[in-house]
Amino acid sequence: MDAITVRNLSKRFRYVGIPKETTFKESIVRLQMFRRPEKRYVRAIDDVSFSVQQGTMLGVIGRNGSGKTTLMRLLAGAYRQNAGTIKLAGQATLLSLGVGFHPDFSGRENIKISGLILGLSPREIASRFAEIVEFSELGEFVDAPVRTYSAGMYLRLAFSIAISVDPDILLLDEVLAVGDEAFAAKCFARIQQFKRRGKTIVLVTHDAQTIVTWCDSALWLEHGKARMLGAPSEVVPAYHAALAGYGQEPLLVDSREEGDPSPPG
Amino acid sequence: MILSLYRYRWLLYELVLRDLIQRYRGSALGFLWTLLNPVLFMGVYTLVFSVYLRAGVDHYALFLVSAMVPWLWFASSIQQGTNSIIDGRMYVGKAAFAPVVLIFVPVLSNLVNFLLTLPFLFVVVALSHHKVGLPLIVLPLLIAIQFLLTLAALLFTATFNVFYRDLQQLVPIALLLMFYLIPIFYPLSSVPEAIQPFILANPFASIALAYQHIFYQNAWPDFNLLAYTTLTALVLFAVGVAVFARYEETFTEYL
Repeated sequence: MDAITVRNLSKRFRYVGIPKETTFKESIVRLQMFRRPEKRYVRAIDDVSFSVQQGTMLGVIGRNGSGKTTLMRLLAGAYRQNAGTIKLAGQATLLSLGVGFHPDFSGRENIKISGLILGLSPREIASRFAEIVEFSELGEFVDAPVRTYSAGMYLRLAFSIAISVDPDILLLDEVLAVGDEAFAAKCFARIQQFKRRGKTIVLVTHDAQTIVTWCDSALWLEHGKARMLGAPSEVVPAYHAALAGYGQEPLLVDSREEGDPSPPG
Repeated sequence: MILSLYRYRWLLYELVLRDLIQRYRGSALGFLWTLLNPVLFMGVYTLVFSVYLRAGVDHYALFLVSAMVPWLWFASSIQQGTNSIIDGRMYVGKAAFAPVVLIFVPVLSNLVNFLLTLPFLFVVVALSHHKVGLPLIVLPLLIAIQFLLTLAALLFTATFNVFYRDLQQLVPIALLLMFYLIPIFYPLSSVPEAIQPFILANPFASIALAYQHIFYQNAWPDFNLLAYTTLTALVLFAVGVAVFARYEETFTEYL
């Protein structure tokens, strides 16, 4: 059975030059001149289709800006696609860096808020609280504001919360790179255990070895398109071969007018 | 929208609580700050308008405070809430999350502050040897109307502030001008009759007047005016929800 089925998925973003320069004054001037700025779009995900079998792990690779994070956020329901369909068997939880923590709140407060955002009830959070703190190895720092955390502490907290939610589908966006080896090993043990219970995982990483070792299938994204989908032992070498041939191509921005910036998805 | 509010009710509760705690954390006076605001306003305005300018309003302090307390709820909600989507950028677009929750937070936390300042209003009533009688039963209705009106205004300002960041500079100016144009620190009777309809067109004017009626005059508010405000608030709210829903999805691209 497929836990994730994605068909012809597309997501584009308005190309925003320097958003802070848009001011009222400016837009009034523009309106007076009857000249609206040309709308430009970046195709972050372009007609991508794939499926992931339940209880397996998919690794997503691709260069920076190839659409990996956008894909993950689409799967998590944080973005709405412009075209295509996503079918999920169960709840998906996204874990990525810099997500959902208020810098001025303590770890404790952030656990509560993140848990609520991820759909846990206050009771569930209370019952898992000790486990989250223990797994995160934060100790006393759980009462310190998150802005005082190191990147590793931040990640450990985020991972602990995400895994405690116990979703059907776990989406991991480049999160295992930050922790130290001991914590990474602990995470992988947890992920393995998670998988054995028939849960599905999608993993974005730049570490090809991780994909070959852990994943059941691999998806290679390039400029928002699915370049290759298959066994990690085939996709990863092909990606590496292509990587060697890459120059410094800039990202593509469509210049044509495409109407409404937020059409019904 | 109601559905996502229900779904995130605990989150809303938690965020409001955090907002209130955050405000008083590390401050020596704590909750007294919330009281200090109307007290200082009352002191200065009473000095200016009943000692310097002699506006001829009996018990000016009570007159002022009765409409000032609800105004402060409105003004601080708008001021704080205009930035709510931007302040909540760590939550928007990172998980399946309804940004509309962020709009409710400032209105609710300032509502709590407002309710906590109400006893102060009663103290001023007692000190002025005035009475508050049966018209007080309208108060929950007034709160409900103001709640809707504040939310409606915020749906616009918070949404457009994401795209036009200078809105947050414009909002305090607009609030200040609005404050001067509503009969809060002067009675409606001092406005020339020809101009009064324009003053009353402002939906907040009837709310200010109703508070003066209840707390200053111990009289029933003008229900026709309140009906107008309710209708205006409902229309603004409906349009606000539509605007918010239309732009909600593009927030992530601007945050």
